[in-house]
Amino acid sequence: MTALPLEGVRIADFGQIIAVPYTAQMLAWLGAEVILIETEQRLTTRVWPPFAEAEPGVNRSGGFNMVNSSKLSCTLNLRDPDGVALAKQIISVSDVVVENYSSGTMERMGLGYEDVKSLRPDVIYLSLGAFGRTGPMKDLVGFHSVINLFSGLASVTGHKGSHPRIMGGLFPDAFSGCYCVLALLEAIYHRANTGEGQHIEVAMTEALGGLLPEAVMEYTLDGTEPERVGNRHREKAPHNVFRCRGDENWVAISVEDDAQFLALSQAAGNLGWAADPRFSSPEARLKNQDDLEPLIQEWTSVLDVPEVVEKLQAAGVPAGPVLDSAQVLADPHMVARGFVQSPEHPEVGQRPLGAFSWTVDGGRPGIARSAPLFGEHNQKVIQELLQVPDDEFARLLKNGAIS
Amino acid sequence: MLQQGALVGLKVVEFTDQVAGSFCARLLGDAGADVVKVEPLGGDRHRKNGPFPSGVPDPDWSGLFLYLNSNKRGVSLDIESPGGRAAFQDLVNAADFLVLGHNSSEIERLGLRREQLAEANPKLIVTAITPFGLTGPNSGYLGDDLIAISAGGMAYATPGIPDMVGDPDLEPPLRSNTNMAGYLAGVQGAVACVAALLSRTIQGTGCEIDLSMQEAVAAVMPFELAHASYHEAKARRPEIFGVMPNAYLPCKDGYVVVMAVMEAHWRNLMDLADNPDWAELEVFSSGVERARNWDALEPLLLEWTMAHTGAEIAQLAQDRGIPCFPAYTVGQMVDSAHVKERGFMRDMEGPGGQTFKLPGYPVRMERTPWELFRPAPALGEHTSEVLQEWLGYTVDQLTNPGVGTR
Repeated sequence: MTALPLEGVRIADFGQIIAVPYTAQMLAWLGAEVILIETEQRLTTRVWPPFAEAEPGVNRSGGFNMVNSSKLSCTLNLRDPDGVALAKQIISVSDVVVENYSSGTMERMGLGYEDVKSLRPDVIYLSLGAFGRTGPMKDLVGFHSVINLFSGLASVTGHKGSHPRIMGGLFPDAFSGCYCVLALLEAIYHRANTGEGQHIEVAMTEALGGLLPEAVMEYTLDGTEPERVGNRHREKAPHNVFRCRGDENWVAISVEDDAQFLALSQAAGNLGWAADPRFSSPEARLKNQDDLEPLIQEWTSVLDVPEVVEKLQAAGVPAGPVLDSAQVLADPHMVARGFVQSPEHPEVGQRPLGAFSWTVDGGRPGIARSAPLFGEHNQKVIQELLQVPDDEFARLLKNGAIS
Repeated sequence: MLQQGALVGLKVVEFTDQVAGSFCARLLGDAGADVVKVEPLGGDRHRKNGPFPSGVPDPDWSGLFLYLNSNKRGVSLDIESPGGRAAFQDLVNAADFLVLGHNSSEIERLGLRREQLAEANPKLIVTAITPFGLTGPNSGYLGDDLIAISAGGMAYATPGIPDMVGDPDLEPPLRSNTNMAGYLAGVQGAVACVAALLSRTIQGTGCEIDLSMQEAVAAVMPFELAHASYHEAKARRPEIFGVMPNAYLPCKDGYVVVMAVMEAHWRNLMDLADNPDWAELEVFSSGVERARNWDALEPLLLEWTMAHTGAEIAQLAQDRGIPCFPAYTVGQMVDSAHVKERGFMRDMEGPGGQTFKLPGYPVRMERTPWELFRPAPALGEHTSEVLQEWLGYTVDQLTNPGVGTR
């Protein structure tokens, strides 16, 4: 097994909701010691559903536990000067600070980049914002839906003739988080070579804007706005999802050339399709997909999803199941590859979650521990790491600087 | 232009026929690495994709190719010919990274597993991005963006909160008309590459990274997976948000998200709607009640949204701290003062002087800033240059049917 790259690196995590917590979780999986600094006065995912067995509790939220595994939890009141002083002490022994509060919040608490740099000159400090930290919209509140809508992604998502749709999965947070991790690893490498820290700024709207190069190019060439085309493709046909036997079951099929279409026709037991002049070339299939799709639909509708996938893949046709979240976590292929891991959590037991999307020399760099309980590591962080004596710790607990 | 990226001095060989591998290698080039894209003699498939500045196909001016391959040099080799394969192996022997992006069967067929490549170069990091990974029961499956988005769970989850499926029979799972899975896998591939680089500084040797596009899609949906993991029930579409209004509604000129789940936001929203009598009804007295009685509330809210444009609603609401936002077209995004002031879009010029823009980079790094320092290469543009500079090839060695020079 390869050495974990971030052993000995400490992260002060001021992440909110998903994007930066997800970022710091990836760093934890890579071996960093991540101290999550939580404030009881402004909890988010900890008090939001989904809860284990729908029973609320600060340690029972899936939304929290799935983006905070392998971290230490330290609960400080950042509205209290003593709480802020403790946060500064944590930062002064950390290599990296990450935050995604609203623009200006860290600065108001005295924890902005300039403040922190005086505590730790080589600090790597990352700020993520929905719209970034500059520009006329920097103060706008933006959840994933707003980011979908502003970036234009919704405008290229939707069924033909229908309105713009919002992509599922709250992925803008995690996708932006991947850019954050990339930038932080680069910065850590740069610091190892030069001794220099730096400030990093990420805008979620720009991470999504980068998904649309063709649409941006077409618009800026001649003002053309993209049409919504459902699951269809500009060069491939058939290219869609088709209903299979049962309720809410679909298979995705994508064909790009005549050989694949012939194989599809054979697998479906209908060589007539490949012989039909309406479907005899990629151009013809693109033009006549309204005629072609119902034929394929008729074939798939009496079969189970795995049956269609196996038949088509055996014939050399790209096809896959349309999985829902529960099916993703139970997928035998992804389970066998180690993507699905189930760390033991003291209050909610084993809950499957998705790890890194890659293996290293066949092993999965993965989840060391489940998410921390609320304030689980206050003593470890404040007393052992910061060396705050017993009586002072008791005072800070009593006056509420530590929750 | 002087490169200042964090990865200056590192060498990358890219060999891929999918968006994911190309984007992964581009991100390494964006960070300053010397990226050499190896294309077949006929050129990378994305050279055919467009759009094209003149509207006429031109392999050197495909928009998708330009975007995926800036900050790289281009070498053209037929790696299935002896001469091309030898040059490819020499490049790999000199590289820090080899980025692959194909179906897994193609990687096996071409003998591109790390154990087959790294004997002469133990420091080599091989990153293979494939639809379903190099191992596991489905590793031989073919796939593309649609297949990965579907098998990774994102198509089923779309439309996402607060958008909803009207009639499930008429609305099958949905993909975005972009190469989204390729970008998701590409950026995760770049993360894996730099993580492996840091590991290499500790242990001295490289490694093989096996990244699955299916998993790269699933990995960006932790919240969606949490629902399945914690409710132990199948997440059905459509699912109404538990606290309302967090809704995606039509308005006078398009669509708008109206989000007022906090009581203060709700009261502010009702102020904006001139405090109608129904705002005081018991059935709308809390976010949970408003979700329970959404069928009654939706038409009432629609009266207000349909009387205003998306921009008006957003302005009125955001002034009161309510997070509402209209659906932008691509043009509205590109032309927005915000995008302009941040300089996100980059100006490009086509072969006939056509001007257009492509998205820039979403990360600003103080000491290792991103720059567009090199446009995407023409086919075989740097074959001679790179083989001479990296490997000291002579003119004789360059004259080979498997080596494509211009």
